[in-house]
Amino acid sequence: MEEKQLVRLAQGGSPAAFEELVAKYQPKVFSMALSFTRNREAADDLAQEIFLKAYLALPRFHGKSEFGTWLYRISMNHVKDFLRKKGRAKEVSLDDVGEAAFSDREQAERAEMERETEARRTLVQRLVQSLPEKYRVIVTLRDIQGLAYEDISRILRLSPGTVDSRLHRARRMLRLKLEPYLVGEGGAHELPQG
Amino acid sequence: MSCRKAEKLIQRSLDGRLDRRGRDRLASHLAVCPACRKVEAEYRSMLRLLKDGPAAEPLPRFWERLEPRLREETELVPLLFWERWSLKAIPVFLALVILLGGFLFFAPRTRELSQSAVLLMENRDPLSETQALFETDRPETRTMMLLFASREETSPARRPMP
Repeated sequence: MEEKQLVRLAQGGSPAAFEELVAKYQPKVFSMALSFTRNREAADDLAQEIFLKAYLALPRFHGKSEFGTWLYRISMNHVKDFLRKKGRAKEVSLDDVGEAAFSDREQAERAEMERETEARRTLVQRLVQSLPEKYRVIVTLRDIQGLAYEDISRILRLSPGTVDSRLHRARRMLRLKLEPYLVGEGGAHELPQG
Repeated sequence: MSCRKAEKLIQRSLDGRLDRRGRDRLASHLAVCPACRKVEAEYRSMLRLLKDGPAAEPLPRFWERLEPRLREETELVPLLFWERWSLKAIPVFLALVILLGGFLFFAPRTRELSQSAVLLMENRDPLSETQALFETDRPETRTMMLLFASREETSPARRPMP
């Protein structure tokens, strides 16, 4: 069934239609919440609250934008409220994020490398959390969630130019914070040795 | 090209949003600028780490947990609606009471007033005025009483016996 039809049915009070919409968007909403909270249970709670909010707000959805964009906007506002109430992202435990178990001795070296990468990843995400809110949001949407510029522009109600310049500043701030840990990573234009 | 401009182009290039001309210009700059090559490597590494962020499966039975909450909230909606509006209605109600009170207080009175009420409104003492009225009536009353008394004396049979 088409999404617009599902939305109409859900607006008419069909739980089955809303269930289909939830099934479609739950992974994205959960993933976005997880990017900000970095805690599985907190992200799950947020996702539940976001869908609850969306369900109650359905009568006010007039289809001017895509349902996904509208839902993302609700998600963003809810996540921002949550982070403000929580006093800036104290949910930084990654303990509950699945980590591969390396019990085999032959895989010990690989496991060590993985742990290092995980440590760097954790550091990057902690630094993202330390950015001012407007930069943290845009980096999360673009570089963690992988949303298109146009979608970010619609969700945040910013002009494409503002998205571009804000993202540029956010990435620059993040790179400068990360500089000591990123040196020697190499890249496409690294000079050949010798 | 300045290094600052090159940094912008690096970001666009990593986003896949740089046209051929821009790519050529950036490549020429990177070929002669080790600092920008380092910056490009840092961005590449940083974006890779961001993309490979925490991946975790959502908790199971999402809908089964959500559905009862939706039902509960839907049942609460009329109550919430009333609560929201009742809160807004309190000042409106108070304003209406004040308006009505003001209207009743200042509106011109159209009904007929009693004599004592007129005296009250004229801020005069109604008791003394009433006394004065009785005083003006008294000579007539006395005359009438005397008249009746004299008639009763002439016809004693009609006088009731004590």
